Amino acid sequence: MSSLEPRLAAYIAGRLANASDVSVTGLTRISGGASRETYRFVLNWREGGEARERRLILRRDPPASLIDTERRVEFEAYRAFHGSSVPVPEMLWLEEGAEALDHPFSIAEELHGFEASPALLFTEPYLPHLQRLGERKWTILGEIAKADPVALGLTEVMPPPGLGACWDRELSYWEKVLDDDEAEPLPITRAAIRWLRANPPPPAQKLSVVHGDYRTGNFLYDAHGEIRGILDWEMSHLGDPLEDLGWSLNPVWSFGQPRAGGLLPEAEAIAVWERASGLKADPAAVHWWTLFNCVKGQGIWISSARVFIDGGSKAPITVVPPWMLQTAQDRATLKVMGRL
Amino acid sequence: MKPEVPEVLAELAQLLVRNADPSVHPADRASDLGMSAMLLGYVAESWDGRAHLLVEENRAIHALLKRGEAYVASPAPPAEDNLRLSALTAENQRLAAALITLHAAVERDPAAGDLNDAIWAELRTSTERRKWATSVV
Repeated sequence: MSSLEPRLAAYIAGRLANASDVSVTGLTRISGGASRETYRFVLNWREGGEARERRLILRRDPPASLIDTERRVEFEAYRAFHGSSVPVPEMLWLEEGAEALDHPFSIAEELHGFEASPALLFTEPYLPHLQRLGERKWTILGEIAKADPVALGLTEVMPPPGLGACWDRELSYWEKVLDDDEAEPLPITRAAIRWLRANPPPPAQKLSVVHGDYRTGNFLYDAHGEIRGILDWEMSHLGDPLEDLGWSLNPVWSFGQPRAGGLLPEAEAIAVWERASGLKADPAAVHWWTLFNCVKGQGIWISSARVFIDGGSKAPITVVPPWMLQTAQDRATLKVMGRL
Repeated sequence: MKPEVPEVLAELAQLLVRNADPSVHPADRASDLGMSAMLLGYVAESWDGRAHLLVEENRAIHALLKRGEAYVASPAPPAEDNLRLSALTAENQRLAAALITLHAAVERDPAAGDLNDAIWAELRTSTERRKWATSVV
């Protein structure tokens, strides 16, 4: 890992016009990054006669990944929301070539001193703030839903589906992932797909930015009930705003708690989202998108298993999701379908 | 459990050897060992009951397939002459694939409500058999 530090410093030095003595220290891998290798480091340099430093994050593509995503799409999604009411870290550089660090990567500011772990939420000093965190979580999601993807410039990098085609595009995509990657038959997921196709939702109310993985565990929070950063935009795309709401209501993201996302009663979460977005959460449509997201979840878990089976990566991070979550996702699917 | 347990354990064994090297960064070692411990915990929890689970489930699915012979030809009963987990798992996959076909056929017939309910009951039971002690759902 230490050999990365001088190469990273050299890369950044070439992009800081007035900097000298650029160095990188404290490069440390952060565990848990399933689709990118994630490292934190401190950038040191001199500028205008003064010593400077900044905490930064390096996200580098691994040889094989849990989720196949376009890094530019992720980068532009962060950039689009930076400085808005949706808190995200500042994106600094995107490198799509492999020359500098062997694989493509991006560099962003580190939002330092906050937590992301769902487990810690249910302990002191965070426990008293679950209500507040829940209100913030679904308010921010409502603001993402309300945003205009054209004004944000995101239609340049994310293909816009027709309002009536959002559901089929997503369902077909994840059904194909399951067809391609499943290592064993999935009777519950297949039954859910049949139901989804037989009972399609209404067209989207508007075209929205869909974060794609908006859940407890993918935001940074503090000890006062404030959300300080929305992370993991790698599956972001344009689509029906109810898609993200459904993912946030997938029972696997309640972490065994009797509240949506472990934070709020489901009806309250939906009401907060409606207020913030100015959109309607039709109960039948929310149910469709929640069930769809159970299918999507299973697609992610079994495609991670496929990465291991095919030898793309033998890292334990590829085994944890399918072993831990495949049956839980089946149970979530049954629950949403009223069969548990 | 996919990937299969033996392949995962073989990888974890190699990972432990690699992490015995003092030059491994402490953060990488902590990440590797933490996830390895989690996976070993799942293996420990499933070890004793896995064969019983598969035999029980294979019999239950085959009973449903026999009930649904009017919709889909019932496949051969589960082979139990080989009790290796790999053999029982292969039988489980064969029967589960047939169950999907039967379920889709039964859903199309309003008169097959009882069989449809029985299939759902078995699917629910299958998750009870497989559920971890620490399951989030």
